[in-house]
Amino acid sequence: MTPTTTDAQPDERAERSGHTEPSVRTRGLTRIFGEGDAAVEALKGIDLEIASGELVVILGPSGSGKTTLCNIIGGIDRASDGTVEVAGEDISTEDPGRLSDFRRDHVGFIFQFFNLIPTLTARENVEVIIEMTGRGDKGRVPELLEAVGLGDRVDNFPAQLSGGQQQRVAVARALATDPELLFADEPTGALDLPTGQQILALLQDLNAQGRTVIIVTHNSSVAQIANRVLTLVDGRIESDETNTSPAAAADVTW
Amino acid sequence: MQARTHKTLRDLTRQKAQVIAVAVTIALGVMMYIATAGAYQNLSASYDATYDRLAFADLVASGGDAQAVAQAALDAGASEAISRTQVDPPLLIEDTKLLGRVISVPSGEHPSIDDVDVIDGDYLEDGVTDQVLLERHAAETFAIGPGDTLEVFAADGWATVTIAGVVDSPEYLWPARSRQDILGDPHAFAVVFAPEDAVAAWFAADPNQALALLPNGASDATRDQVSDAMEAAGASSVMTQEEQPSNATLSEDLQGFDQMSKAFPALFLIAAGVAAWVLLTRRILQEKPVIGTLMAAGARRGRVLRHYLGQGLWIGLIGSALGVVLGVLANSAITTAYTGFIGVPDTVIQNYPWMIVAGLSFGAVVGALGALGPSVTASRTAPAAAMRTQGTAKPPGAWSAFVARQTWLPTSGRMALRDLVRSKRRTFATMLGTVLALIMVLTSVGMLTSIMQAIDIQYEEINLEDATVVTQRDTVGADALAEVDGVAAVETTHLGQVTVVGQNGSYATALHGFEPDTRMHGFVGLDGSRVELPAEGILAGQALRDLLDVEAGDTVTLHTEAGDSDVTIAAFLDEPIGTAVYATNATAASALPDAGVDTFALAFDEGADRDGLRSTVTQIDGVVAYQDSRAIIATIDEYLGLFWVFIGVMIVLGTVLALAVMYVTMAVNVVERTGELATLRAAGAPLRRVAGAIATENMLATIVAIPVGLVLGVWSASAFLQTFNDDLFTLELRWAWWTLPAAALGVVLAALISQWPASRQIRKVDIATVVRERAA
Repeated sequence: MTPTTTDAQPDERAERSGHTEPSVRTRGLTRIFGEGDAAVEALKGIDLEIASGELVVILGPSGSGKTTLCNIIGGIDRASDGTVEVAGEDISTEDPGRLSDFRRDHVGFIFQFFNLIPTLTARENVEVIIEMTGRGDKGRVPELLEAVGLGDRVDNFPAQLSGGQQQRVAVARALATDPELLFADEPTGALDLPTGQQILALLQDLNAQGRTVIIVTHNSSVAQIANRVLTLVDGRIESDETNTSPAAAADVTW
Repeated sequence: MQARTHKTLRDLTRQKAQVIAVAVTIALGVMMYIATAGAYQNLSASYDATYDRLAFADLVASGGDAQAVAQAALDAGASEAISRTQVDPPLLIEDTKLLGRVISVPSGEHPSIDDVDVIDGDYLEDGVTDQVLLERHAAETFAIGPGDTLEVFAADGWATVTIAGVVDSPEYLWPARSRQDILGDPHAFAVVFAPEDAVAAWFAADPNQALALLPNGASDATRDQVSDAMEAAGASSVMTQEEQPSNATLSEDLQGFDQMSKAFPALFLIAAGVAAWVLLTRRILQEKPVIGTLMAAGARRGRVLRHYLGQGLWIGLIGSALGVVLGVLANSAITTAYTGFIGVPDTVIQNYPWMIVAGLSFGAVVGALGALGPSVTASRTAPAAAMRTQGTAKPPGAWSAFVARQTWLPTSGRMALRDLVRSKRRTFATMLGTVLALIMVLTSVGMLTSIMQAIDIQYEEINLEDATVVTQRDTVGADALAEVDGVAAVETTHLGQVTVVGQNGSYATALHGFEPDTRMHGFVGLDGSRVELPAEGILAGQALRDLLDVEAGDTVTLHTEAGDSDVTIAAFLDEPIGTAVYATNATAASALPDAGVDTFALAFDEGADRDGLRSTVTQIDGVVAYQDSRAIIATIDEYLGLFWVFIGVMIVLGTVLALAVMYVTMAVNVVERTGELATLRAAGAPLRRVAGAIATENMLATIVAIPVGLVLGVWSASAFLQTFNDDLFTLELRWAWWTLPAAALGVVLAALISQWPASRQIRKVDIATVVRERAA
């Protein structure tokens, strides 16, 4: 990884990375959990812009606020203060129903523990999202699973798949609604190294196809594959670095 | 307080809604037990108090020399025996002529057996012969009391008497003329207690009944010995207290309480046990790492077992304590309402400590049993395995593989189908809730619809006459009655009391005589086909077959005051209410004593003014009694009023049972699958779609259980109904066409309603938090 800057302005950064159109923009983003003496300020006024097509890793130790930031941008949590614009839409004040529509139209999530439905096959785990959201094309499901390397496992149940294969199903599921933004929260956290490398490679490929990918991790090695690394400490962005020559996933070790 | 007690209480608080649902189910079960078992005990005690206070006869013998029969009873071991006269003459009360009953009692002093309780006015003065006591039901029906007069149709015409007092009688707490006539037109029956001298003068009759009291705690052997002695002394029939019409009718009702006090609470307690099992199993699965940590720290298995058993015990005790309080209140309310409705003079309200202890124990045992399986699982968990939070997913079974191939179904539909076997425990509990609710509702509704249909059959297909008219002999002919506007047909009939004597016993009942081709009575054989009145011989209610151990073709003796006549039983009849015998008028006339009256059955034109007809016919000179057969329906409706309340309560409780169990299982379903649901929501699936998918899964278990519930419900209703069958009722389970679909629909609605809290639970799922959690 070759860091180039640490404190460039957002517009400048986007231009430098070759991605000029901002996909995510936050201003004064604050998130407070609890009330009174028990209140914890997880995010303390985050200003951030992520351009369309970037592969961003949000890095930070446990409790730094990285997942909270990711959740708010992804529309599964609400900010206490500040604004969030994603794909030109201000989601700070949206009601739960609109937020649900927003996620359906723009966002895909990949979680550390896959969260697959154990009673559904790989194919059905992807299909059910299309069915439930009414977005996407069921006919593309085999193609999606083929793309994540599971073309021969479409009718297997999660219990018949390895951890890496399950995470691939989760990636295919995240792609089912053809989102512009892909969030991956500790996507390698539950995987061994080779499997983790495969998942990272998959995410790199998806980014190469033009999707904005945001990975949340505490593993600094994962940051090597990103073209931009945001480091959060205690609810603030401590550094914002551009990586002009990201490493191939296969070369990353931890 | 110990830390683990703190933990137990906080654990229960965390699942407040589900714990409350289980506790409420237990509370309802315990409440029903205390209320119904307590009411049964209290009602029995109330009857006993009245029977003891008023010296209700243990044995009543009819026929023979009553004084000799009474003496024989004393000689055989009775503690007290008396004789009296009972006659069924026409009465005129206000403007209503009816066939009443006059019973002789001593004037100036109460009878020592079958005493009366004066509730208004005074007892008969010594030596008077123009005063009577009127039984309460008639006083209420005709709204008359002390000082009013009525007329008794004596041998030499109408005798006017004054009512000295209104009384309750142990023999007429339920105003039944006979065992065949337990549901009568209230305007067609009245009981009058008259001075012995007056009765002797009116009817020129000697005492015809002997009453005996047995010593306290007398054995069945003593009773049989006294009974045999009375028969040996010339009594033609001896009726025990159990057979006495009023007591037998009320006992039927009490028997219902007894059955209910066992069956229905059991349904609730089973349901509560299963709900507790589902709930605590989930908690223990969730707490596996905690259990592992405790055991790794050296906690002994027994302590872990007791800790989780304690959670079940707490739920059980909370529920049963609430149930005991509600049950005690309900017991008092039911007893008071019932004795008030029936008019039982003594109301005993008592709470039985053993019952309260039993109720508390039931709740505690149910809670503990529900917790037992999960607690044993928890205590047997190996610490290392317990702390491995990533569960080992089971490979799909044959069902999952089969459903996966059904690609014509939507994916969410396949998900719902597979969820049936995903948590068999949960599916079982949901199904059990459905089945138990259906059993409860169908058993209650089945009893009501069967009784209603039995009444319909009795009064639409069997008793076809609209009214029965009794006239003085040869004063009013059938033609005169037929000319009354609104009367469509008139037939001569006969009616009298007989004792049917078979080889293995005797049975006192009514003998009805009809014209051979009568239109006034429908005779239905045991196979459902129409039966004709035999030219000779009799038709008999089917209960007689078992009572006398006789078959069609056998000869029995009809014993009356006129003597004995042997007749052949031509066939048995399927009649839901009562066990009477029927013959042609010729046969009946030869068997029955001459009562000096003519009896006619009347059929009315469609839409006739029944009150107007009653008034017109009773004003005809010579008419001494009139009974509107259809007025019986009003009595039945009044009687069934209690049943409707009971059915309503059962339906509400059945719904609560279904809701409580389904709520617990559905809440657990949501909790167990929070991760999946949150993932779907994170992907943008709308709440209604996610809630709909879960509801489909939950409803599927309910729908699968419905056929099972219907089958078991019908079986249970049938079995429950059988317990009521005897010579008073021959009930068969009959449903209105809508009953089963309505019950199924009701349970589906209850299940749908219970989706609402589940949907709220899904709405409250914190997607951001849950998606990061590892599924437990």
